[in-house]
Amino acid sequence: MTINTLAKGGWHREQMTCFRKMEKVIVAMQDPDMGMKMRNQRLLITVIPHAMTGRDIIDWLIQKYTINEEEALHVGDMLVRYGYIYPLKEPRSLVLRPDETPYRFQVGPPSHLNYLLFYPPNIRKQGELMEYEKERYSLLHKRINHTWDFVVMQAREQLRASKQRRKADRIVLECQEQAYWLINRPPVRSLSSLLYVRLCFLPFCLQIETSKRALGRNRVKSSICLESFTKYSEQYQNHDPIMQGSHWTMKLRNVRGILNTGVPVPTRLRVERWSFSFMELLNDVMGRKEFMTYLEKEFSAENLCFCSKIIEKVEEVYNKTMDKTLEGIKHPHRFVMDDAQMHIYFLMKKESKRQRVCDLLNALVTPKEISKIVGVSIKTVYNGKKRMTMSKTITRKSGRYY
Amino acid sequence: MGKEECKTMLDALNKVTACYRHLVIALGSTSDSQNLREELKRTRKKAQELAVANRTKLTSLLKDKTISKEDRAEYERLWVLFSSSMELLEVDMKRSLEIGQDFPLKVPTRHLIQTGMTGSTTTVAARAMSVQNMKYEADSNIDTADLRDLQSEITQVSHMMEEMEMKVQVAPWAVEAKQEAGAELKSNMSVGNSSVGVISICEEEPKEEDGGGNRDAGFASICAVLVFFVIVIVALVLGYLVINMS
Repeated sequence: MTINTLAKGGWHREQMTCFRKMEKVIVAMQDPDMGMKMRNQRLLITVIPHAMTGRDIIDWLIQKYTINEEEALHVGDMLVRYGYIYPLKEPRSLVLRPDETPYRFQVGPPSHLNYLLFYPPNIRKQGELMEYEKERYSLLHKRINHTWDFVVMQAREQLRASKQRRKADRIVLECQEQAYWLINRPPVRSLSSLLYVRLCFLPFCLQIETSKRALGRNRVKSSICLESFTKYSEQYQNHDPIMQGSHWTMKLRNVRGILNTGVPVPTRLRVERWSFSFMELLNDVMGRKEFMTYLEKEFSAENLCFCSKIIEKVEEVYNKTMDKTLEGIKHPHRFVMDDAQMHIYFLMKKESKRQRVCDLLNALVTPKEISKIVGVSIKTVYNGKKRMTMSKTITRKSGRYY
Repeated sequence: MGKEECKTMLDALNKVTACYRHLVIALGSTSDSQNLREELKRTRKKAQELAVANRTKLTSLLKDKTISKEDRAEYERLWVLFSSSMELLEVDMKRSLEIGQDFPLKVPTRHLIQTGMTGSTTTVAARAMSVQNMKYEADSNIDTADLRDLQSEITQVSHMMEEMEMKVQVAPWAVEAKQEAGAELKSNMSVGNSSVGVISICEEEPKEEDGGGNRDAGFASICAVLVFFVIVIVALVLGYLVINMS
């Protein structure tokens, strides 16, 4: 099972320089001539080299870096705290004692390399665990149940592999492991003292939730969005005073034309703008006036029907879809947006009809084309029908985006 | 049967991963040497071969839709074992790269950390490669030349793991352990008396020249002989008493 030294990794970057310095000190200590004086550690029959006393360490630091005892004690303490040196007699007290307590080096402090480490439960003693150990053990078994088999398997293999080494080396390895875990002990309120568990599943669950929610949302393909955005920009480009650049002063009259409401004859640019959408027409005071007069003038049955039908349809569709959509949102399911989709389709249908009206209006302003109005209107009816079918297919296609 | 084959392959990968870990621990310490670097390289290559073989086998088994539910649960468990092994392998490889870069062997002043480990790791490597004796035939600059290979292999392994996660949808937290809690505590693996309790007794002597080393060994053997004689004397006394009684 894996450990993520999250707490330590947090300040990994800031403290990299101090680790490099500590490493330099350790390397200087290894020098065969000017380095530390090594002693032998004897355990019954086994002799393990490369031990040193606390007093030796302090003396060496004082002599090498010409510092006083207090500073040397502090530096040595740091070395022990971060795992470069570990004590042999009382492994749990990670302090440097300036007396005869023995210490030894280990390669690379365990804490500064922010990597995932595996620690199998090395089964040293046969027989029963103590009460509190049993409790922790079963809790652990529950928590890391999914990797339990791996942990046990790997532990067995590691034990077998370690048997291939000399007895002295095995003892050193055990001491090192113990030192590692004492240095990297997680805070007291954690799960277990025997094995340390990966808690990274929690953020994964949250991620899954947000992804599920994101999937349910309506999406438009960026190609379609961008298309409509470019069309909009192209349409409005001539009407944007800033985009006109150096011709700003020349078109100033046009701009003023847009802003001024009470001009007797609207500028061409302004009228063009009405053709963009119905709302533009209605927003403009003059446009509204023109529209009313036009309606009164033409007074064609088609137009009247058209207007009343629009109002009807809008009400109908709105009521139907709004109710359904609101209900659907209460019990969300995949097809709650289908009604909204229908709604949009109808709106687009209307859009094409609006386009026709505005074309007609535009024709008004340019007197030459008045004569073509009738012909144009008939044509646009057919075009409108075509556009309707086209827009129908577009909605159907883009409806597949979720 | 597919399952048995898978299990044996996984066991092999597990063994090689454990041995690789032992070899990596010895890096940078006084038991580091050219031989160790070569052992690391060969063990690593073997681990990768086994990993690829395992992966193809397991993915083909998991993609099969016609297997029963219990089989599928078993294969998912094996998959979790496999991916955990791979994670461990990747971590060890990264560590060996870092330490390998920090401790080159061909410099005039080698500064290996004196960790107290002085034995060789030949037997561990032999166990990993499943041979009786290791033969060393690498060049003398293997410590630097191998690092480049190691880097590319690390990226390979990370890619493989990402691919694995994408291709196979196995929820690792849904797998249940087969071993019960405490089963391994009752196993018969004797570890000898290397428990930590024994280590707290320690003495030192200042290290002198070779004569001192010999003196240490002599002292130990004298102790052993004394103990032996004491036991023999006790046995003789008891025997004499028994004879006298009867």
